[in-house]
Amino acid sequence: MKPRRREFLVAAGCLAGGIGLATVAGRAHANPAALGTALQKVTGGASIRSGKVKLDIPPLVENGNSVGLSVSVESPMTAADHVKAIHVLAEKNPLPNVISIYLGPRSGRARITTRVRLADSQQVMAVAELSDGSFWSDTRDVVVTLAACTESVI
Amino acid sequence: MTAVSARIHVPATARRGEIIEISTLVRHPMETGFRRTQLGERIERNIITLFVCTYNGEEILRADYHPATAANPLLTFTTVAADSGTLEFRWTGDNGFSVTERTKIVVV
Amino acid sequence: MTESLKMNRRTFLISTTAVGGGLALGLQLPFGLAEAEAADAMPEVNAWVLIRPNDTVVVRVVRSEMGQGTITGLAQLVAEELECDWSKVTTEYPTPGESVKRKGVWGSFSTGGSRGIRTSHEYVRQGGAAARMMLVQAAANQWKVPVAECSAANSVITHQPSGRTVTYGKVAKAAGKLTAPDPKRITLKDPKDWKIAGKPMKRLDTLDKVIGKQVYGFDLKLPKMVNAAIMECPVFGGKLKSYDDAKVLRMKGIKKVVKVGDTAVAVVADTWWRANTALAALPIEWDLGENVKVSSTSIAEMLKEGLNAEQAFVGNKNGDIKTALTGAANKIEAVYSYPYQNHACMEPMNATARYTPNRCEVWVPTQDGQSSFAAVLAASGLPADKCEVYKINLGGGFGRRGAFQDYVTQAVLIAKQMPGIPVKLLWSREEDMRQGRYHPVMQCKLTGALDADNNLTGLHMRLSGQSILASVRPHILEKQKGRDPAAFMGVFDNGEHSYGYTIPNLLIDHAMRNPHVPPGFWRGVNINQNAIFMECFMDELAHAAGQDPVAFRRKFMAKHPRNLGVLNAVAERIGWDKPAPNGIHRGIAQMKAFNSFVAAACEISVEGGNKVKIHRIVAATDPGYAVNPAQIERQVAGSFVYGLSALFMQECTVKDGRIEQGNFHEYNSMRIAQMPKVESIIMPTGGTIWGGIGEPTICVAAPAVLNALFRATGKRFRSVPLKNHGIELV
Repeated sequence: MKPRRREFLVAAGCLAGGIGLATVAGRAHANPAALGTALQKVTGGASIRSGKVKLDIPPLVENGNSVGLSVSVESPMTAADHVKAIHVLAEKNPLPNVISIYLGPRSGRARITTRVRLADSQQVMAVAELSDGSFWSDTRDVVVTLAACTESVI
Repeated sequence: MTAVSARIHVPATARRGEIIEISTLVRHPMETGFRRTQLGERIERNIITLFVCTYNGEEILRADYHPATAANPLLTFTTVAADSGTLEFRWTGDNGFSVTERTKIVVV
Repeated sequence: MTESLKMNRRTFLISTTAVGGGLALGLQLPFGLAEAEAADAMPEVNAWVLIRPNDTVVVRVVRSEMGQGTITGLAQLVAEELECDWSKVTTEYPTPGESVKRKGVWGSFSTGGSRGIRTSHEYVRQGGAAARMMLVQAAANQWKVPVAECSAANSVITHQPSGRTVTYGKVAKAAGKLTAPDPKRITLKDPKDWKIAGKPMKRLDTLDKVIGKQVYGFDLKLPKMVNAAIMECPVFGGKLKSYDDAKVLRMKGIKKVVKVGDTAVAVVADTWWRANTALAALPIEWDLGENVKVSSTSIAEMLKEGLNAEQAFVGNKNGDIKTALTGAANKIEAVYSYPYQNHACMEPMNATARYTPNRCEVWVPTQDGQSSFAAVLAASGLPADKCEVYKINLGGGFGRRGAFQDYVTQAVLIAKQMPGIPVKLLWSREEDMRQGRYHPVMQCKLTGALDADNNLTGLHMRLSGQSILASVRPHILEKQKGRDPAAFMGVFDNGEHSYGYTIPNLLIDHAMRNPHVPPGFWRGVNINQNAIFMECFMDELAHAAGQDPVAFRRKFMAKHPRNLGVLNAVAERIGWDKPAPNGIHRGIAQMKAFNSFVAAACEISVEGGNKVKIHRIVAATDPGYAVNPAQIERQVAGSFVYGLSALFMQECTVKDGRIEQGNFHEYNSMRIAQMPKVESIIMPTGGTIWGGIGEPTICVAAPAVLNALFRATGKRFRSVPLKNHGIELV
């Protein structure tokens, strides 16, 4: 996930007409190995494209104990073309798997809302598995503001 | 956990083919298994691991919960109103946790 | 430029004469309401710098001003690299909503941990330098000359070969359209060449405060605004069961009585006084819960048990403490304790919120605009693009208004029940005293081993008490097998907070005992009590060894030259090597905190065994770099006011599960007549790490005075506050 985070910082610099900042992503280190394993389990090694999925999650949360999120996926949700599963992953949680939801044409719409825990400022990723075997994703940065407040005491 | 309770919101009636929203909430601490007591002892994991929703006996949605699901798990999703009948919601998890709720729906 | 920033710069004039016959001043308010008119166009050179055609420079600062001088210091750093005319510099706060839109371009808003300057100096200076490079480039483009032939100073760009000049204001618009330089191409000035930074510039916020133009959160008046007073369950952990609003709804001016979350009730009225009066008359039933059984005595017992408990988290360890203690010729033991204390900001917690289903806006004095914004998102349930927070300078923060945004959440929850109407929630002083996030309680048992030659051969420091992070950031403890690393602030061998000694055979451990009272980050955090424990006990050991306290300390400081540097500086200035004047007694203490090295020495006299007069304080600070020496001097002096008020007077006691103290008559602070002159030695020694200023010095105030008090009275006072020992400050 490292390049992704960099991407975010670089974007910040560009918009500013100025300087990339290194403070946003928080101090805890991502666990790319665990995330990679979790993603591998979800996709079986298939590639993931970005698009079709929309992850709604606040960009800033106070403490991460209970963060509301919704995932919606563009899909007609027919027998021939539907979303089979939605997975939410968080790179810096002790376990990257947050929730997996298995649905189908009877769902009518591919949209779920839940509440999750986020240990630190990090990227949260929603991955959708479609009935044609393709995988799509959306990724959001979430800053846990309390992480910044406690940064200096540890 | 002593008192077990779940809250379900499903429209009482719906038109056939209408997409209805279902929200579910169940009381549960979702103890992660990562926390420690003030003496440093690990607090045993105690979470709901599986949620299944059936509609007249047929599974329409299933969810795997993990420690990252917040306490008192909430899940909102949709389904197509097919026939009048019963929606059943079942949560199962650690320490033999099992809660089942049912609600009726009238489809016209 | 975006909508929300335009609104943020609006000033909105409100005559207060219409409302309660107050000051007949036109108060300028930070405003986000749509009613506000558009301001003059103002070219943005980059995220940090805006320059008007008349050369006025606006530096954007996201850290919050709460009297510590951060906006002035940060503006100095930007202006230094910008090469602008300091007399034309002003500042503004970008909003947290704007920060979200611009993907966090200004970095963290969090103003705590004495980090305002020390963790952002590099990128703010780069922001200033980038703006300068763009301005010079714009001038070079205009003149069609190579940029290398142009230079900038004092807001004027000069083409050296021709002598042509242009001011920043004339090229700012063109500069704003240029591509920003690659940060790698930016070389920052050597601090020894600073002209604006490093100098004792006057504060940018003083004038507004002196003439009453500064509007604090609790002064805020918005059109059609209503006022709310709140009461949360006085027993922490308890809940609101019911209330009977029939009795108060008929009272004059009362608009509404509302439930706020599961734990609080608020009364909304036309004026705050009416709201608060009705709240006092409102019959409320609480579900107080189990914690109602807890008292200061039961908490003290709980902590006392921890002093000898088997299990404890190890914070610092070397050698073999057991053997050292067993083989000691002389074993010295002492038990210290530190109470709950409140931040007691002069301005009680407050926030003003206006909610509609499409937009939620909040005006709030906050140490962290981003945390406030997160609280608004959560409480309003609206997405980020429909929320905004307007920061207001704080009437005191001290750690209460950073990590905790309970008052923001409450204000939004109330405003949600009155859509479209601005609601100002202001806590009463009593609410502020009783709903704190308190300096945690801690006891400490210290055991020192002296050998036959009076050498210190071992030290065991057992802490027993409350963990802040267990309550606030349990995730950090999970990664440390339950240990709270912050409990050891100040007693690590190195790092940001370090006591500066190398002691053979050392064990510092913590028996975590967490009462129900919510702990928080109180200016200086856990270094305050740890410095008292360590620095007073070093004095006790020196005394037992029959050695001079400074000479005794120096033996363990060979590997800590900067700790030693500040200790020597205060010792020399106070004249430690010469006898004190008749009736005067001295004490000394040192510490490294928030990456600054600090030391204090004081001279006191004691009359009648209990009346303490502090005659003189000498303080030394080595923060690496001194951005505004005048401001450092004031912060250091202020640290003694805060630290000595805590030492002599302040304690929050618990009875029936709740905090007893409700106002300043029970929770006092030093007065100006009690405050001696503070002689400040600022001795920055450079290096790669910048130290903080706002907090470090507080921790040496109490131990320096306690050590002097021993020399004056022959008695060790090992618990805070001193008023409990009958000791008064005169």
